[in-house]
Amino acid sequence: MKSKFIYGLGAAALIASVSACKLAPVLDPNFPSVDAVTSNASKAQLDALSIGQFSLARNGLATYTQVVGVVGKELFNFNSTESRWWTELNGIRPIDNSAFYNTATTAFGLPVRQANITIKACDNTSAVTDQQKNGYKGVANTFKALAYLYMLNAQGKNGVRLNVEDPFNPSKAATYAESISAIAKLLDDGSTQLDQAGGAFPFAMPSGFRSGIAGADFSTPAGFKRFNRAIAARVALYQGDYAKTATLIGQSFMVLTGDINIGPKHTFDPSSPDIANPLLNSTSVRIVGNQKLWDAAERGDKRLSKVAVQATPISYTAAGASYATPYLAAMYRAATDVVPVIRNEELILIAAEAAAQTGGTAEAVRHINAVRTANGLGNYTGATTQAALINAILKERFYSLWYEGHRWLDMRRLNRLGEIELPVSSMKVLENMERPVQEVNWDTRIIR
Amino acid sequence: MLVVAGLCLSFSTMAQDRSLSGKVTDGSGTPLPGVSVLVKGSNRGTTTDGDGTYKLSVGEGAKIVISYVGFASEEIAVGNRTSLDVAMREDARQISEVVVTGLATSVKRSNLANAVGMLSAKDLVGTTTPVTADGALQGKLAGANIQSNGSMPGGGFNVQLRGVSTLGSSASQPLYIVDGVYIDNSQNSSGRSQANKATGGSSASTQDNNANRLADLNPDDIQNIEVLKGASAAAVYGTRANAGVIIITTKRGKGGKTKVSFGQDLGAANAYAYYGGSPWDAQKAQDINGAAGLALFNAAAGKSTDWERVIFGETGRIRNTRLSVTGGNDKTSFYINGSYNDESGIVKNTGFTRASIRANIDHKITSWLDLGTNMNFVSTNNDRGWSGNDNSNINYGYNIPYTPPYLQLYPDAQGNYPNSPVGENPLAIRDRAVNNQKVNRFIGGLSLTARVINKQNSSLTIKMNGGLDYQSGLAKIWLPSDLQSQLGEPNPGFAQDTRTEAINYNLQLAAIHTASVAQGRLNFTTSAGIVQLGTTSNSNYVRGRGLPAGVSNPGRARTFEQDVDYRPNTDQGVFAQEEINFSDKIIASGGVRFDRSTLNGDPNKWFAFPRASVAANLHNFGKWAENTPLSQVKLRVAYGQTAGLPAFGVLYSQMSVTGVGGQGGLIPSTALGNPQIKPERATELEYGLDFGLFKNRVTAEITVYNKKVFDLIQPLTTAPTTGVTSTSVNAADLTNKGLEITLGAEVIRKPNFSWFVQPIVWYNRSQITRLDIPERLTGGFGATFGQWRVKETFSPTQIVGQPRTLPTTDPNYLNSWTVYGDQQPKYEFSLNQRITFLKHFELSVLGHYRHKFTVVSLSRVLWDEGGNTSDWNDKNLAGDGTTRNGEYRQAVNGLDESGNPKEGYNPVVTSFFKIREAAIYYRVPKSTLNKSFGKVLEGVKLGVSSNNLFRWTDYKAGYDPENSNFGSSALGSGVDIGSAPLVRRVMFHLSVDF
Repeated sequence: MKSKFIYGLGAAALIASVSACKLAPVLDPNFPSVDAVTSNASKAQLDALSIGQFSLARNGLATYTQVVGVVGKELFNFNSTESRWWTELNGIRPIDNSAFYNTATTAFGLPVRQANITIKACDNTSAVTDQQKNGYKGVANTFKALAYLYMLNAQGKNGVRLNVEDPFNPSKAATYAESISAIAKLLDDGSTQLDQAGGAFPFAMPSGFRSGIAGADFSTPAGFKRFNRAIAARVALYQGDYAKTATLIGQSFMVLTGDINIGPKHTFDPSSPDIANPLLNSTSVRIVGNQKLWDAAERGDKRLSKVAVQATPISYTAAGASYATPYLAAMYRAATDVVPVIRNEELILIAAEAAAQTGGTAEAVRHINAVRTANGLGNYTGATTQAALINAILKERFYSLWYEGHRWLDMRRLNRLGEIELPVSSMKVLENMERPVQEVNWDTRIIR
Repeated sequence: MLVVAGLCLSFSTMAQDRSLSGKVTDGSGTPLPGVSVLVKGSNRGTTTDGDGTYKLSVGEGAKIVISYVGFASEEIAVGNRTSLDVAMREDARQISEVVVTGLATSVKRSNLANAVGMLSAKDLVGTTTPVTADGALQGKLAGANIQSNGSMPGGGFNVQLRGVSTLGSSASQPLYIVDGVYIDNSQNSSGRSQANKATGGSSASTQDNNANRLADLNPDDIQNIEVLKGASAAAVYGTRANAGVIIITTKRGKGGKTKVSFGQDLGAANAYAYYGGSPWDAQKAQDINGAAGLALFNAAAGKSTDWERVIFGETGRIRNTRLSVTGGNDKTSFYINGSYNDESGIVKNTGFTRASIRANIDHKITSWLDLGTNMNFVSTNNDRGWSGNDNSNINYGYNIPYTPPYLQLYPDAQGNYPNSPVGENPLAIRDRAVNNQKVNRFIGGLSLTARVINKQNSSLTIKMNGGLDYQSGLAKIWLPSDLQSQLGEPNPGFAQDTRTEAINYNLQLAAIHTASVAQGRLNFTTSAGIVQLGTTSNSNYVRGRGLPAGVSNPGRARTFEQDVDYRPNTDQGVFAQEEINFSDKIIASGGVRFDRSTLNGDPNKWFAFPRASVAANLHNFGKWAENTPLSQVKLRVAYGQTAGLPAFGVLYSQMSVTGVGGQGGLIPSTALGNPQIKPERATELEYGLDFGLFKNRVTAEITVYNKKVFDLIQPLTTAPTTGVTSTSVNAADLTNKGLEITLGAEVIRKPNFSWFVQPIVWYNRSQITRLDIPERLTGGFGATFGQWRVKETFSPTQIVGQPRTLPTTDPNYLNSWTVYGDQQPKYEFSLNQRITFLKHFELSVLGHYRHKFTVVSLSRVLWDEGGNTSDWNDKNLAGDGTTRNGEYRQAVNGLDESGNPKEGYNPVVTSFFKIREAAIYYRVPKSTLNKSFGKVLEGVKLGVSSNNLFRWTDYKAGYDPENSNFGSSALGSGVDIGSAPLVRRVMFHLSVDF
């Protein structure tokens, strides 16, 4: 009986010990938390947020560049496992608002949020000086504006949500004009902050923004501002404000006779936590050029090196629409190949267009010739009416900026979508991507 | 047993005790050891020893109750006999079995207030040898929708009990408890879907198509399975029981003479049917595969190879061997079983092996203290091959549909595989790529039962038990660097080594008090206790790309990705339960459990799970039923609550580490954590009527239920341009209503011929009754191909897709999807039949029909795009007489005039009938054995059995309507793409008892 008693006592003790103790909350054993950086962030955390901003500038890069390229018919994605690159993006079948190509819009939400977190973290800490804060904020606002610009490019007349600090209470999408003005304003804010950021950033800049890879130094606040002004010039061009464009080009890193490839670069490394160059062709993704336009390239044009001419044209068929082209994208060959964010060549062509639009014929021709010379071609010999010059600039832009995501936007902003070369008669050119279904649902949700 | 004895108490005098002894045998005279022999209305009882004999003291006018698993209980008045032999009759319906209803108590099935699904070893493995225990449940349980995820060896099943219980955030699969041990049943990731780019990124993916880890349990070890289908039955399991609880009890020794049993299966597996086989001509080769295709067609000069049959046409072999030893003495008994299952698939280099050893030992330390242990070590090895979704033309399941017969793909004499113009050479993948998963696992349990008080009219028992499930997994994926698909990669060659460690432990302490009052007419069983459950899942992987030739070690790669993931959690519970039995007439019970868990927002908040039930055995009220055919009439009602826990990680707003340009940084996850998250809670009300006719020769169990699930965790999908794509919130409710009817009849019962039929029919209807988030689509591959829609007042398993039905100008245009059907069937029906004839033969057949359920199939799309669907060249579908079916189908969507999905579109409404199991056995007569082998052999049984002996289906969109590219889940399971053919297995069985 004694042993029974001991057994009972032991059982009672066990009950008491288990039920008396509290369960300790399990802290996330796997990841750092957002809350830890949004108040009393350390300098190291702010540095990490800024580097994260550079990393996120690559978010959606492949989908965006390829979607914009396919819609503008400068290139096609002969995707062996996803025929919607061919059917839906080329208008052969109806566009879907819940498909993978929504990424061309949605991928840019995260860099915007990263910038907002960085700005909030700066406002809620005293671990760094105001000058340093301006450095972090200048970078954040510049990349925030760039992300919004890509988002707006995809959405076109649908506009974008400009206030998303509270993800549960975002603003409705603004009009296109409001959106692009807000982007210009963000760039101006960033520019002002960079002016007040001292001589150096508080963190070490990624290599793609240093002179070794970028061809010029963008790693100081002054250098980074020239990148900011370059983006601002692109925005002003989209706004059709050519005088402002010309002013901004002057503040950018444009060098008329310099290397056309100068400019900050996205860098890649396939080893985690970095990522591999996402624009490479693979077994399933084959980016090919519009044959008619590439056939028209002048002999000796160095830009022909962007495509590898195949002995047997590459063909693709889906939904009864076939196409063959010998021009296979050849710009990227290794997982570590860099991708330009914005290049001198684009800035020269922006300057040319701003000049042409404002009657600066000689100035325009001079800039066109700079690009032609750099690409191994003779001077421009065509007509110099404004219309002819714009046509000439568009032609140069096709070859100079191929596979950099411009053709569709150039034709759209100049109201020339109808002139886009359609290699298959059943194709149509979309005016803009559909609003993603989640965006629509959020606005039409029932609030309880 | 003691508790049951308490329940069965009725008055008896203790005067003039005397001894009673006897022998218990089965119908054929074989002694039955371990049979429970109880004196009705007392705590006295015993079990038969190894020779089937028993001895106990009885009083004047006593009745004894004899019960044994799988046999009909008998109640016999002793009279003035001193010796009483009993020949028990097999009970096909197991009406008298004891069901574990509480954490520490059990009740006779005839007194049960819930429709608990019960399956004995005979039901599970008596017909054929299943690969996994969940596979062995298919078609045998009302209310269970059990779907195979594919036909590759090693199992993989989606088990949904009484509809869906979560919309994806909480556990979709039932909780499995083996001998008191809470076991892990996850599907571990291996990285295969990264290797073939079916999914991007580094996350774990359901598209790896791995087996759920119940596959580690040898079905042959199982004595019986109890399925608690809903909250009313499973309430006592509290916070983890929303998807139901499956309680598995393994075999135990019964003492007595040592019995050695040997079993051997030999069998073959083959594809049930093929899909392709369309003829090709030059024009078709040109149309589909271009000029290069035409050139190859001409080069083949008429030589044609059916690559589908080359890949899927192998004969898999099945070899299962088992050796078990049971025995013991009056203090100790043991069951030891060693088994080896070896099954290869219908594709070369696929297969599943499982080596399992189990030792279950029971020992009576003293007259009042019992010790029980169960220990199981398992080692499984699974090669699941390459089927399912793919984005790089690697999976042969995906690639074969595109592979025309004019290609020459066999390797040359040097072993070089020619490139395929339509992707990867499927033979090279079959022969050279590796997708292997190995698991070593220990499951052990220990229990101590102390009968602290043991009196005539009351008892107190304290039960302590603990369990441990330790699992160590290694998954390897290898695509050699010189494969065609890899040569096109910037870093050719892919290898991933994934290690998974899962540790579950559980502790339970319970006290059970029984009391018998009013001369035994009223019996109380009170139980209370505490439980603690801890689970930890740790996994890590190294993924390498850019491998040296011939090297499969990812450590030697040029570029790496790796991850480490920890998932710890602890649950605690307290429970109390009261059961009242009024003379087996009215049986009422009520209880409550309180649970808390570190997976909830507040880890120290207790959630209460009450339950209550009443069963009334009307036939025991008076004697009205005595002269009617009615042998049992029971009305029952039960109510209970359970919960489902939030998934690990829901609480946290994470930042992840990124790198760019040589610098490291932090970026937020697009998912926002919710520190206020609560469990999903279910309530269920279940009513039922059970009756038996002609001494329970005909039985019926009819149940209706209404299971409501509240606070379902939903991704609140925010506008993604905010940089937050979702957060988890408690935002939805749903109901599952259904009907379950299980009938059983021994139509013929003669010594030389018996025929037992068991028709089961059931259906479930689900409806979302509240949704506080925008309606959303989930699962599948986008609205173009069909997705699951979560929308208020609709079924969560509804399948919708393109095209939209409203004009583009309508404000509701964007969500106006075409409705194709529901993933849940309209109803399911199964018919189990067992016929014994010529005394020694037994024939059993299990047919299973599933009526009108919707499958999202992308398989046919692949075959049509590739030009290989068997009817590709026919022209009967388009109606114009000129468009070929294979081309016509690629352009259709929507519904036809009669509201059915148009033929060729991805969602398909379909039905099937399968002979899931069929077997015939011959038991060699004892006399023959004695003549031939002396008395060495106790029994010899021979048989032949089959799975999927026959299938009828109107499914034309792929190999089989049972498939899931996305593994087991509440929503999104049941997508057919790149799958492999249904497999028919045929086996010969031999079992010998010594």
